[in-house]
Amino acid sequence: MQMFLPCFYSFLACFGFSILYNLRGRVLWLSALGGAVCWFFYLLMGFSGNDIFQYFIASLAISVYSEVLARVVKAPVTAFLIPGIIPMVPGGGIYYTMEYCIQGQMGRFASTGLHTLGVAGAIAIGILLVSSVFRWIHLLPVKRKKR
Amino acid sequence: MDYEELLNTATDIGFLLLENGAEIYRVEESVQRILTAYGVPQADVFAIPTCLITTLYVDGKAHTRLRRVNSRTTDLDRVQQYNDLCRTVCRMTPSPEEVEKRIAKIKRRPVYGLKWQMAGYALTGGSFALFFGGTLRDALCALVISALLRLLVMPMEKLHTNSFFISLVGSGLGAALAIAAVFLGAGQNLDKIIIGFLMNLVPGMALTNAIRDIIAGDLVAGVTRLTEALLTAVAMALGAGLALSIMHMAGGM
Repeated sequence: MQMFLPCFYSFLACFGFSILYNLRGRVLWLSALGGAVCWFFYLLMGFSGNDIFQYFIASLAISVYSEVLARVVKAPVTAFLIPGIIPMVPGGGIYYTMEYCIQGQMGRFASTGLHTLGVAGAIAIGILLVSSVFRWIHLLPVKRKKR
Repeated sequence: MDYEELLNTATDIGFLLLENGAEIYRVEESVQRILTAYGVPQADVFAIPTCLITTLYVDGKAHTRLRRVNSRTTDLDRVQQYNDLCRTVCRMTPSPEEVEKRIAKIKRRPVYGLKWQMAGYALTGGSFALFFGGTLRDALCALVISALLRLLVMPMEKLHTNSFFISLVGSGLGAALAIAAVFLGAGQNLDKIIIGFLMNLVPGMALTNAIRDIIAGDLVAGVTRLTEALLTAVAMALGAGLALSIMHMAGGM
């Protein structure tokens, strides 16, 4: 239950997001499920005690999920990836950074701000690694056709 | 084969992909593949988020078409459809009129109306308030504010207002509403409500596309989108920050 509820909220939130990106039918449900998958992996890595690492693993997971599904369902990778990473995008981090700045707590402002950037970086590197590897696969069928 | 007509058709498909928020490599590759499929010996395609240039060389002559992208939206359904169209065109090489017909058919595909979009925003805002540890009452406040936010953002998007202004004003007015909700006793945790509806404005799309562009080697586009993501985040923080500062100055809470 402790793990189920956050994943469920994440699913609902991504469903709302996917509507805004005009996704429909099967792709809509699968991209919302991506939000839950992403957060499930985040929570699964909770034992590490390092949330940047958790974000990194979750980002790897959602990238693999998106790249594989895109090939199965024949939809662009971004249809799954953009809604899928939304639960990880540090909206909370941005807010608290701003709040500490207003309150004049400069030490906390700097540490929260840098942490937020770190989270964004972890997400970026997760996507970067997986998509780079999948691009090799993407290039293979083209060569086969030419032969 | 009329190369001028082919150039127009291929560039149109590329333009439509770009306009609906496809990655740069997808646009460039699609146009290139269509031209190759129709037997153009040599062609160059260049795209950045705001512009698409296609040149083809036939019999020692260069034909060029440039299309300026003035407004971009994110419509992943249409990206998928145009992507499929591109595959079909490459496989079957239909006549330009036939392609034109299929483009018109995709353009008629439905978009979610304002009610659905408000519901989408509300669902996202409410769920994220719960997700970040807010109570049910916080979630209800975030839900209502998010729906109102869509009502505010929609006309601004129609007027092609820049995304920073939308983020700034949206987050500022939303935060003001959240403060009012907490002040009136409807909401309990101000931070959870604000984070909840702010998640509707986070630059997830810009961040994802920026990384994918950089991977594909489209550095100009990647850096452009990365800057967009960073500026949107700053605009969001500034808007909510302004509302909170005014609240502090007014001596509230």
